Amino acid sequence: MNSFSLFDSIKFAKKKFFRAPQLELKLAIRILIGFLALYFLAVFLILGIGGYYILVKENPDKDPVFIINPILALYFAADLVIRYFFQSIPVTEVKPLMLLPIPKKRIVRGVLIRSLGSFFNLIPIVILLPFCIVFSIEKHLAPSIWIWFIAILSLSLSSNFLVYLINKSKRSAVVFFCFFVAAFILEKFTSFSLIDLFAKGMNLIYEELYWVSVPLLFLFCSVFVSARFLRQQLYLDKGLSKKKERIVGANLNFFDRWEGMGFFLKNDIRLIIRNIRARQVVLMGGLFLFYGLFFFTQEYYLESPTVLVFAGLFITGGFMITFGQYVPAWDSEYYSFLMCQNVSYKKYLRSKLYLMMFSVLICSILSVPYIFFGAQVMLIIWATGIFNFTLGSMITLYSGAFNATPIKLNIKAKAFENTKNFSFIQMLFILPKMILPVLVFFLPYKFFGFYAGLIGLTFTGLLGLLFQNRLLNIIVKTYLQKKYQTLSSFNK
Amino acid sequence: MIKINDLSKKYAGQTVLQIPELLIPKGQRFGLVGNNGAGKTTLFSLILDLIESSSGSITINGIDVQKSEAWKPLTAAFIDESYLIGYLTVEEYYYFLGNLRGVTKSEIDQWVQDFEPFFNGEILNQKKYLRDFSKGNQKKAGIVGTLIGKPELVVLDEPFANLDPTTQIRLKKLIREEAEKYGTTFLISSHDLTHVTEVCDRIVLLEKGMTIKDIKTTPETLKELEFYFSN
Repeated sequence: MNSFSLFDSIKFAKKKFFRAPQLELKLAIRILIGFLALYFLAVFLILGIGGYYILVKENPDKDPVFIINPILALYFAADLVIRYFFQSIPVTEVKPLMLLPIPKKRIVRGVLIRSLGSFFNLIPIVILLPFCIVFSIEKHLAPSIWIWFIAILSLSLSSNFLVYLINKSKRSAVVFFCFFVAAFILEKFTSFSLIDLFAKGMNLIYEELYWVSVPLLFLFCSVFVSARFLRQQLYLDKGLSKKKERIVGANLNFFDRWEGMGFFLKNDIRLIIRNIRARQVVLMGGLFLFYGLFFFTQEYYLESPTVLVFAGLFITGGFMITFGQYVPAWDSEYYSFLMCQNVSYKKYLRSKLYLMMFSVLICSILSVPYIFFGAQVMLIIWATGIFNFTLGSMITLYSGAFNATPIKLNIKAKAFENTKNFSFIQMLFILPKMILPVLVFFLPYKFFGFYAGLIGLTFTGLLGLLFQNRLLNIIVKTYLQKKYQTLSSFNK
Repeated sequence: MIKINDLSKKYAGQTVLQIPELLIPKGQRFGLVGNNGAGKTTLFSLILDLIESSSGSITINGIDVQKSEAWKPLTAAFIDESYLIGYLTVEEYYYFLGNLRGVTKSEIDQWVQDFEPFFNGEILNQKKYLRDFSKGNQKKAGIVGTLIGKPELVVLDEPFANLDPTTQIRLKKLIREEAEKYGTTFLISSHDLTHVTEVCDRIVLLEKGMTIKDIKTTPETLKELEFYFSN
């Protein structure tokens, strides 16, 4: 049997990349991501090196490892959850190999080996490697810190492999879920703490090195189990099949009252709840609600309202940005169909606009707990809400006319794959989306004080409402101009 | 119904379609045949204003498709699965179409019953999304979807491909009946000469973007076409 080696699989990956449609764009994005990755690498490097000194400085009489160990359990838990959402069997790559004379074992091995290159596996290495190097230089305790490092690495890799299991097998997903819930309950209501236990375990490994055999054994087991599991799943009606789905969102009759628009809104809501990709994006949008916590918890920021405007824009516009930036790409799978239907662009775009406006409204309501940080913060959030409600949504809709990269609705995006739909023009739209509101706040604020700033922001927003119809007409015209271009790239 | 004038489509200087004139009267069942790359789908895409022509014009009922969208209420098309909304159930998809063409939910529920024999019990009440249907069943659902609201013009690209023999026969009957009952104009492309000669009353043969033959269907048409393609 001819061998299908790792080398071949890399060769395919290379071809897939270089022969992809819109290669130039993708190359540009790759380069950009490259820079971004370099930036993160540098940050983590500094975090790793500086982290050591900071920890030592803050707690001079404590070994920094003992400070890190208690948070590791939480890190691994978060790691597993994030991987669950982003990592899945690369079905499209595996399927064509099934008919070729390649042993299944080798296919599985290829999948597992390639999963090692995932971004999440890099994080512990990038952060901890410099930390460990600095540590062993400063303390001359080389072996124990490296054993500790190996222990963490093997646990992180275990999570890399086990996630395939959780992803495809309902039973193990339930087991893990129950485990998390139980751990949470124990943590909260009893004196027994899994986090402490885990920390103690890590301490033990650090102090008595032979205990490292436990995480190593765990890694070995998870490789074995996941390989065996994947091998069993390598059938079209098992791991490579689409999940059998129940129908959700069948009863959205509430929207029918909304003459004309209702049907589109209904469809968009179904689009969101029935497609993996859309759910992912909406989840991200939801996370933006917490964005304010970065800013409002710092005295330093609370004193400069202009920065808070920035935070407010993200809090109230999270969904609007994450969902809205992919209009009309959400409908890319059946765009030609829509173009032959008795739908005017205006009606279509207006329904998208209303959806975004609706989301801003919801986010503004959900942001009420921020009142805890003071009335000023609340007022800023609501003022940005008004801006996003009227103008922000409009600008986002407009920017969509220039986005012609299709979206596969029911396929998970890999981490950072969202950037595929990224373009320079989209970047440019950050200006009106982010800089404009900050500006219309900042200028009156600078000269006439806080409330003038608020009025500036609100007034600009209301102007958007006043000219909504006219602006919408301009947007429709732009979409019409871009129609053929959009269609041809959506159909690729 | 459809009037084509001096139509051409070029890609990078290469002409893929060139039709000086073509008239399709109302109620005609118009068949389009030709080998791969002959320009069938290009022609349909131009008629539906999905691609821009390099020159010339197409009008549907006097409406220039590139200048106005007023042809959309009279037209329905099914080209491929991308004309389905994958995350809807068949019923939801039909209600959506009905909504766009002014047919109420209850009217659709009533109307769709007539297609039960065509569906062969595999389409309605399936409790699954369109994307999870087989190719053939997706096609059945899509074709019937075009008939919602009795459009004046129905464009079908390769409607017979992927269908089982029973459904092919029923589809031919369906098209003839619709055309007779409501005077619907059908544009049908096909690689299957037998089917297309049986169902269409006029056949145009495209090759390399040009109309080579324009035949009114007679019992001899099939032989004529077979002769052409075998040489």
